Amino acid sequence: MIVKCVIWDLDNTLLAGVYLESGPQPPPPEPAMLEAAATLGGRGIIHAIASRNPPEAADYAARATGLDFAAAECGWDRKSDAVRRIIADLGLSPDAMAFVDDDPYERAEVSFEVPQVLVLSPEDMADAVGWPEFSPPAVTAEARRRGEMYAERRRREQEARAFAGSRDEFLRISGTAVTIAPAAADDVPRLHELSVRTHQFNTSGEPVAEAELHRLIGSAEHRVTAVRLRDRFGDDGLVGGCVTRAGQDGTWTVTLLMMSCRAMGRGVIEALLAWLTGAAARGGARALAVPCLISPRNVPLRLALAAAGFRADSGGSPTPVFSRPLSGPRPELAAWVTVLPEPGPAGR
Amino acid sequence: MSGPQAPDVAAELREILARATGRDELLGVSEQTPLFGDGVGLDSLTGTLLLREVHRRFGVDVAAEDLNLDALATLATLAAFITEHAPARPAPDP
Repeated sequence: MIVKCVIWDLDNTLLAGVYLESGPQPPPPEPAMLEAAATLGGRGIIHAIASRNPPEAADYAARATGLDFAAAECGWDRKSDAVRRIIADLGLSPDAMAFVDDDPYERAEVSFEVPQVLVLSPEDMADAVGWPEFSPPAVTAEARRRGEMYAERRRREQEARAFAGSRDEFLRISGTAVTIAPAAADDVPRLHELSVRTHQFNTSGEPVAEAELHRLIGSAEHRVTAVRLRDRFGDDGLVGGCVTRAGQDGTWTVTLLMMSCRAMGRGVIEALLAWLTGAAARGGARALAVPCLISPRNVPLRLALAAAGFRADSGGSPTPVFSRPLSGPRPELAAWVTVLPEPGPAGR
Repeated sequence: MSGPQAPDVAAELREILARATGRDELLGVSEQTPLFGDGVGLDSLTGTLLLREVHRRFGVDVAAEDLNLDALATLATLAAFITEHAPARPAPDP
């Protein structure tokens, strides 16, 4: 399993000393750990803090190290509880986490309570930079900016909590812009990465190789679509995509639909499903079908399908086909969605 | 031993919905208002929060038992689904 987030202890781990025992000048970053953290950040791995310290310690660590922390849990309860809160807060899976702590007791406690987490001592961590768990295959622009994007997300969520109006109003005043466009060859590494990393919004649960994505983009029977998202808090880049095939029987089939969980709650999956129903209807289809693996992890996707009027044919199959007719009222595209046309002479 | 009663369940669901969406007006939403679409506007995020809380409070995993999530049509259908599927919980002391 590839690690997506490293949760750092501070005292004698990321910091070269004990924060509360250092007098007026807190301890500097521990050089070997800082170097490892910076290297991992460059590979798109994000950082978080779990420390037995007051909250100011996290602010100090961010200033002293120059790292972006996607989440910070400072307090005196169990480290495993802090780790669980970080996992929930970031919407990541426990097996995508690593935890680094110099205290063998803390490491044992986290190992016992959250066994999926990769638990390391600082000495292990210095070496682990070279391990396959810390070497994601594709390092895309989105991956390199991941730490920053989590910081942007924190600011966005703070403002959303303070905002009195509806979610749609918040999306509008935030300058939310969703762009739906035909995928280009340049989009392939990120689409591949999404096929590997997305679980909550993924119809197939199977990685799609870059060569296969290139083939689909070049195929006359398929359309590959890329979805981008930005707002005044930041640019999330390419956050979703889908592959559709126009059948001879009047049905368009979405053979793959995927979206980053970072885009959840921001109207993106709704926009993509609304656009798909409209595009299929304009393309002359009578129905749109979405075969979707049923798993406890992709319930958010099933909610989006239900909200857009899709229904599954029958129970029993591990991959039932959700579909909807294209006659009658269709879900509407929000005003902040921009659709770029297909290239080519047809000018679709 | 007895399961939860539908009217109590509906009241608790209103509270969960208001918290998940941050919209206090949903505390007064009718049992017949559609949860998806124009009514409550449930989406993948608020729907996930609702299902998670229903699972935690009533022990009913709606997504595991209802492929099409038909239980989420209205507050009334969701309350009925929960009442029907909830494991019996101990009756309060008299």
